[in-house]
Amino acid sequence: MQILLVGISHRTAPVELRERIDFQARGVADALRALAGRGSAREAVVVSTCNRAELYVACDEAAAARQDLVRFLSDFNGVAAGEIAPHVYDVADLDVARHLFRVAAGLDSLVMGEPQILGQVKDAHTIATDAHTSGPVLNRLFHSSFAVGKRVRTETGLGSGAVSVSYAAVALARKIFGDLTGWSVAVIGAGEMGKLTALHMKSHALSRITIVSRTMAHAARTAEAIGGASAAPWEELDAVLGASDIVITATGAAAPILTKAHIESVMRPRRNRPLFIIDIAMPRDVEAAAGEIEQVFLYNIDDLQATVRENLARRASEVARAETIVNEEVEKFGGWFRSRGAIPTVVALRERFEAIRRAELERLDFKLSSLPPEARARVDEITHLIVEKLLLTPTEQLKALGGSDTVGAYTEALTRLFALTDPQADDQAEQDRAAKGGRVEPFKRPTGGRR
Amino acid sequence: MNLIPLGLYAAAMVAYAWHFTQRLPAIGRSATTLLVAAALSHTFVIGMQTMELGDVPVAGATSAISTFVWLLALSYLYVEMTTDERAMGVFILPLLVALQAIPAFRPGVEGRAAVLRGPLFGVHVSSLLFAYASFALACVIGITYVLLFKEIKAKHLGFFYARLPSLQVLDRMNQRAIVIGWIFLTIGMIVGGVWAAQARGGYGAGDPRVQAMSLEDPKIFVALLCWLVYSFELFAARRIGWGGRRAAYLSTLGFVIVLFNFVPITYFFSKSHNF
Repeated sequence: MQILLVGISHRTAPVELRERIDFQARGVADALRALAGRGSAREAVVVSTCNRAELYVACDEAAAARQDLVRFLSDFNGVAAGEIAPHVYDVADLDVARHLFRVAAGLDSLVMGEPQILGQVKDAHTIATDAHTSGPVLNRLFHSSFAVGKRVRTETGLGSGAVSVSYAAVALARKIFGDLTGWSVAVIGAGEMGKLTALHMKSHALSRITIVSRTMAHAARTAEAIGGASAAPWEELDAVLGASDIVITATGAAAPILTKAHIESVMRPRRNRPLFIIDIAMPRDVEAAAGEIEQVFLYNIDDLQATVRENLARRASEVARAETIVNEEVEKFGGWFRSRGAIPTVVALRERFEAIRRAELERLDFKLSSLPPEARARVDEITHLIVEKLLLTPTEQLKALGGSDTVGAYTEALTRLFALTDPQADDQAEQDRAAKGGRVEPFKRPTGGRR
Repeated sequence: MNLIPLGLYAAAMVAYAWHFTQRLPAIGRSATTLLVAAALSHTFVIGMQTMELGDVPVAGATSAISTFVWLLALSYLYVEMTTDERAMGVFILPLLVALQAIPAFRPGVEGRAAVLRGPLFGVHVSSLLFAYASFALACVIGITYVLLFKEIKAKHLGFFYARLPSLQVLDRMNQRAIVIGWIFLTIGMIVGGVWAAQARGGYGAGDPRVQAMSLEDPKIFVALLCWLVYSFELFAARRIGWGGRRAAYLSTLGFVIVLFNFVPITYFFSKSHNF
């Protein structure tokens, strides 16, 4: 069994192409069923986000499956194969594990370390499980990738720090006020910028939003557009400032509308309750000196952009630690994956022993036929137990083998020593084995025998 | 015997510092485990001393320090477990280690002086030790508040920004610790005064230390100073909006006085509390 990945992502394909190869829009479950119907893959998971479309499959013959998967990308999405081909990448076996682990960790994302991707990978696996297209190999692979994502998030700073201006503002507000529910926001200026920022604040549980504008009609219209916000006339600016905890200024005024003295006068009745002022206007709306007031935290757009740059730099410095975790987990997965190479040999070995047992019982049948049925059943049981005992240790040892070279050497030696038939063709037997809890059905067992 | 808790406190201190810089959850958990182990072994030590003396060892200056360290460790653990916040540990542990070094290297337990008896004496000492533990926490919370405040004000969001809870949370924790500490400080001082008045006329009449218990004694005078500082902090927070950074500074100042009163004054200057 081999693992194969075929896909496109923001690293290889332009957005125009990614838009057209969109499994989410066409239904990931349908895609999985269509893919399973083609027969080139035994197991399949489709990871589809706005930045990537990737087919993860477990198959017998990687070369053939690769061609079929590229054709599938083109057929299912109705995009000419020639158009897709130059942008497609494909990797096999442990490189697939490395790729998926890096994806789940956010190392392959457009914004380094973004957290949504792990949830998207989990969803992709859930859909495949529901559609019964995922199997033992891909289950193991995806569960390992969830572990990588979790480890990278908790053990490194790859996902820490806001990387957009609006998130940086919300993160700062959280560092000042803690939980944001219940605090109130004032937005000064009813323009597009003010509206967008207010919407963003609203999405972070800041529900008490007041819009203040020189033109009351503008304020009312913006408040309505946001939904649940209230509007206040310019004359009430001081009252609104006094009642708010976060103030966003976004007017088009040519000179500062809030001076240090003005804010000082507002702060006095507040008894020094903290005031977080975010000045996103250009030119600035708030006098820079206002930041000197105790309990006033003044950030303008440049300050926020600077913190975003710092966060991006910090994330970049965490990449090496995240890659180390990815390597460790690839190693772990590799050990498991290689040990699977021994399974067909194990199955063949057991079948071989069982066949010998059965042949001997048949050969001695004329001697045993005089025994009462209970005694015959006992003979059957005892011989079965002997075979099981003989095979127990070698089976365990084979399954514990790590390196692919050792697995190859051992399987070859066993194949020769016991004259086993082609073990690679025994995947069906392997599935039987899995279904029956790891044991080959014994030769006629008259009564439900003990083991 | 106080060496074992000291060793464990020191190990916990290293683990907390390591966790503070690396922020690996596994290290954080082992730091807490070490501190719990230290507190448990400390409980055992104090329990043994209690059995030996027939009294909780709080009367002598050295054993009072040991008991204070134990109370502070427990209070901190309580705060850590209720807030799920480990960042304060890195500031508390050095204090625990430094103070625990005194009983560890001054072995032997002072027996309780004969005059120190009655239920009021027990209330006096335990309230004050508990008040001091609260003030120690308030001080550490105050220090972290100032560190975070400065980073946010300077618009340089770095080390502490990533590691400390929000200013609001720190401010509220500080307020709560001060209120609790102030209540116990007040109780402890009043009860101490009542006890001294009773003892002076009765069983303590012949003891020069009991006779020295007045406002002129440095220990009692500085304790009153402490009470004034914390009372002012509470008043200022409610009446003039002195929250945040000013409250944090006052908490630190108050605890410096507490510590000064608790260690050097008791050992070297006080004529009334040198038991």
